[in-house]
Amino acid sequence: MYHLDDDEYLNTPYYRKTGSVCPECLEPIGAEVYEENDEIWMRKTCEEHGQFKDKISSSAKYYKWTHWAVKDKGGNVIWKFDKDGESNPPDCVGEDPRGCPYNCGLCPEHLSTCSLALIDLTNRCNFNCNFCYANVQKSGYLVEPSLEEIDRIMKHFRSKPIPAIAIMFTGGEPTVRKDFPEICKMAKDNGFKEVIVATNGYGMSRKKGGFEWTKRVKEAGLDTLYFQFDGINDITYEKTRGIKNLMAYKQRVIDNCRKAGLDSIVLVATIAKGVTDIEVGNIIQYAIDNVDVVRGITFQPVSLCGRIAYEERQDLRITNADILKIIEEQTGGKIGMENAWYPLSTIVEFGRVIAYLADVEPIEFTCHPDCGFASYMVVDPDSGEMMPIMEYFDPLKVIDFANRFWAKIKHKEKKQLRIFEDLLGDFGKTLDNGLNFLDKTQLRARFLLGVLQYMKKPGKLMEMFSRLLMRGDWESVSSFSYGALLLSSMHFQDAYNMDIERTKRCIVHFGVAMPDGSVKEISFCTMNTIHRPIIEKQIAKQITPKIKNEFDTTTGQAVEEIEQEIARNGGIKKEEEE
Amino acid sequence: MPEEYVEDRDGMKIRKLAELRTVTDKTYEEAMIRRVDEFKEQKKDKSQFNDVIQNTFFKAFSTAFDLKIQVDKALGEDNLKKLHKALDEFLLLGL
Repeated sequence: MYHLDDDEYLNTPYYRKTGSVCPECLEPIGAEVYEENDEIWMRKTCEEHGQFKDKISSSAKYYKWTHWAVKDKGGNVIWKFDKDGESNPPDCVGEDPRGCPYNCGLCPEHLSTCSLALIDLTNRCNFNCNFCYANVQKSGYLVEPSLEEIDRIMKHFRSKPIPAIAIMFTGGEPTVRKDFPEICKMAKDNGFKEVIVATNGYGMSRKKGGFEWTKRVKEAGLDTLYFQFDGINDITYEKTRGIKNLMAYKQRVIDNCRKAGLDSIVLVATIAKGVTDIEVGNIIQYAIDNVDVVRGITFQPVSLCGRIAYEERQDLRITNADILKIIEEQTGGKIGMENAWYPLSTIVEFGRVIAYLADVEPIEFTCHPDCGFASYMVVDPDSGEMMPIMEYFDPLKVIDFANRFWAKIKHKEKKQLRIFEDLLGDFGKTLDNGLNFLDKTQLRARFLLGVLQYMKKPGKLMEMFSRLLMRGDWESVSSFSYGALLLSSMHFQDAYNMDIERTKRCIVHFGVAMPDGSVKEISFCTMNTIHRPIIEKQIAKQITPKIKNEFDTTTGQAVEEIEQEIARNGGIKKEEEE
Repeated sequence: MPEEYVEDRDGMKIRKLAELRTVTDKTYEEAMIRRVDEFKEQKKDKSQFNDVIQNTFFKAFSTAFDLKIQVDKALGEDNLKKLHKALDEFLLLGL
């Protein structure tokens, strides 16, 4: 794999100790991550509830590669995928003696800053998916922050020394809120560069008013749809969402976004064995066919909630490595498991150099290598076919150059040149500013040349990449990403495979407005595995019969909308067209 | 798209992909240019894409880069490796 094929490291069995939780009582227990039959497993024992074992990766080779470290001649680690981030100051002291993950809020043990802020806008939803945790029907209470509370959460994320750049609205289904456009505008007013909604497409899909609504939210500031998309076959949605003929609904969302100019859609596919895994290739081709509006695909191996027996769990369990294998198989080997993918944390130093040189807010993907991987697909100018961006340049050389460059200049981030200020006062300060500007300009030129020497293909995309390297601003990042298709995977943890080393490095954080006026910042996986029921009980509101019966979750339509439709059709209910 | 299918256990037909061809390779470039136009329109003078000096610089840089690709091909793999090594050392010198 990659450059490690002849390395002894790949032949050494993998083993490490970590912390986890008992899936039954959620109390802290130790865990071992180890290699068995070319796979990586986790085992842990709770004194009360016995032993648990779960698969972490179906490929020991891939897993070991993502845990590889560069060592100097003395055997000291000088670089690895698994790294600590530049964390913000903690929000709480962490009073629970059990430590991480029980002190979320965030506590001093957290090692990454937040790259993506999440706000649950509501737990109301027009669907009733059987594996979903956030649903008003199942919980029996309403969780829906007010506009003032949402504003408070946004200000919390934006006021940090390293502020979150992107925000995602989640749920339930966020677009069922009538004030959703106002919330998008609020996010922009608070300074978020990228405003995203995780949605099944409800607001955009409505037959009556869907287009106008899409246009309205786009104008209000919504940048990207993180769009639930399990495949292109109706039967798949019947299995995953329990709704018939859902592909027409999904297509309507794409069409309305296209018409409204909302041209940044990320298809999000929850991958479950034997259910949606067969659709992976279809989804990739669908994205390519709709490249004018689809910017990327995120595959999410299903995380398992509740008590599930070992055998059943192994039937359902799918890991990042499985996704890579499936992608390779279903794209005829065009996106190879062994040469197309990198953990998200690969580009941390690269990003730091760009942020420092361009004086922009850094984006730190310091999540654990087990969390996810990514690759850009780009058009090969010679063949017109899509190929991994790794064929555009030599990734290891670029990464290595960026790492060495950062190691040499990182001291400058903390201490700027200051030569004349003490001697000449304000005039000297101006001279020092000039010197710092010149210094950064020469560094930019060096970095640009250093990276571009390893590029292999010409064209407009490379011009945009040069802009990204030189300027590092949102315009460059965003424009570059429009010329490529981002493929990624994010494997969320559950109580069976929770690894505290991952949890501490989480970069996707929920913000929750608490009744005492504070904001709790909680990492994604611990929120869903541990904290959600406790937190929600503190902020829950009573549901009214109107809310309970708001949607027909067998069709995904609002009851009011169905009644209007029946009235228009002279009292006859029409089924969704195939 | 080649007419190759696989069937799942419920008999659902799935396209088996053997190539990842775009409708047209220009679609991606067009999407990127559209985004650039959007920034130009939105941010007016504040957009880098409306800055004549920067546009000229990157245009010139892009031309030089195309030339570099040709030179790389002419140099051959071994010579290129040596050049990269020397350039790496030079660019990190004095930092």
